[in-house]
Amino acid sequence: MTRVIRFFFLIGIIFIGTGFNTTVSAESEEGAEEIFDVTTKLGDSNYLDFEPIGKIQLPRILISEGSVYFFGSTYSAIASDLFTDAYYIENPDAAESGPVTYRLARTDGGGITLDLSITKHFVWFLLSGFLVLFIFGRLANKYKSGIGRTSAPKGAGMNFAEVLIVYLRDEVAKPNLGEKHYLKFSPYLLTCFFMILFMNLFGLLPWGITPTADVAVTGALAITTFFMVNLNGNKDYWKHIFAMPGVPPLMLIIMIPVEILGLFTKPFALAIRLFANMLSGKMIIFSMIGMIFIFATKFGTGVGLGTSPLWLVFTIFIYALKVFAAFLQAYIFTMFSALFIGMAVEEHHHHEDEEFVAETKPLTT
Amino acid sequence: MYFVLANSFVSPEPGLVIWVAIAFVIFVVLLRMFAWGPLLGALEEREASIQESLDAAATAMKRAEEISKKNDEALKEAEAVAQRIRKEAMEDAERIRVDRVEKARIEAEKMTEQARESIEREKRQAMLELHDHVAELAMKATEKILRAELDAKKNKKLVDDFIKDLSKN
Repeated sequence: MTRVIRFFFLIGIIFIGTGFNTTVSAESEEGAEEIFDVTTKLGDSNYLDFEPIGKIQLPRILISEGSVYFFGSTYSAIASDLFTDAYYIENPDAAESGPVTYRLARTDGGGITLDLSITKHFVWFLLSGFLVLFIFGRLANKYKSGIGRTSAPKGAGMNFAEVLIVYLRDEVAKPNLGEKHYLKFSPYLLTCFFMILFMNLFGLLPWGITPTADVAVTGALAITTFFMVNLNGNKDYWKHIFAMPGVPPLMLIIMIPVEILGLFTKPFALAIRLFANMLSGKMIIFSMIGMIFIFATKFGTGVGLGTSPLWLVFTIFIYALKVFAAFLQAYIFTMFSALFIGMAVEEHHHHEDEEFVAETKPLTT
Repeated sequence: MYFVLANSFVSPEPGLVIWVAIAFVIFVVLLRMFAWGPLLGALEEREASIQESLDAAATAMKRAEEISKKNDEALKEAEAVAQRIRKEAMEDAERIRVDRVEKARIEAEKMTEQARESIEREKRQAMLELHDHVAELAMKATEKILRAELDAKKNKKLVDDFIKDLSKN
């Protein structure tokens, strides 16, 4: 009995979380074009979407023509008459009524230097950060009060958190960074792991968004890793790039550009791996649920309803896979960050296998 | 159609990159200060104390083993000493026994000797007395013979009687 309830509960969650979000304009009045659009749901936006309850508009911050403009929402930005939705500029005859594409443009034709608006993905990113801060800040207070410091850890939460933390410290940080450096970089790696993990898992909640499915977010994370690597790189590391020992000078002409390229490809790979994994999972779920509606519009409502259990089974399978991928990708990002930092701070170089190991680890799911 | 084109997944929004990078660095700093620092410190401390306890236990064990070994050695030594003392005592006893027996033997011999001597002396005295006695008797017999000289027959009878008496005595 409980199994059946659980099954329907899960289906319900999927429906609330993903199913109703898919935009199907099959019943468009002209019947001209049927748009099955999942991209808006997967991409970033300037509002928090809680369909069917409503939307929460997010503030817009724009740097344009040398000054900073701050608006409470896209509506107030358009209402200010300084900016308008790009849609109205491209379609001058359309009647102005609120944002359409949420791409703002100056009404006077000036350019926008930088759009620093707070977006959906950033809000969820912050949420993840504050959640990590809240959970582990409380845990740290517990440790400060003595539980776990002098006695054994208490409770499932504390034990579980400790398992993850100790694993990351002993199995990720220590072997890659070495006994001497691992404590210095552990906070960074732990932050990486838990924030990415939470962001990945957010996508599995109703109305939840996965900020890591945005290349801008993963890119920013990869950039921090890039700085962590290169700011902490020691003499050996730079020597390895600009004057690799044991290589004839003529070869260096080829090697140096390759090594410099390598500096950037490593964080680039980090960003793409995480972003692509997270986006693809979400996309597959949308597509699976969307199959019901596609079948319904192509072959009739009956076929759509009839085949829906099949799509639901697929969706649940992907859903479970996504839970696994959430942990795995957070781990991989942390693992590779540790590896790259470790390569930069390592004192004794073993020229033959380092680069090779970094490139041949199993990468994606 | 605008919705479809509005989002291009592979072109990062620079504004978001800047925000996330700044926020992430702040989160790293905050988490390091309020979460990971105390957490890792506490773990380290606990591990150190556990290691210390283990080390202390190992040292105590080693010491206990040493003490036990020492005790064993002492026991062995004591046993050896006891053995030696017992052996010595036994030897002493044996010697004393032998001494005693020897002494007793000598004593006995001495006593036997004394007894023999005293017997000898007695014997000699007895002989002497006998001698005297025989002499006296001879004298008495002679006297009687002399008195009864008249009758040889009588004399003979007297001597016979005398000898008979003598043998009777």
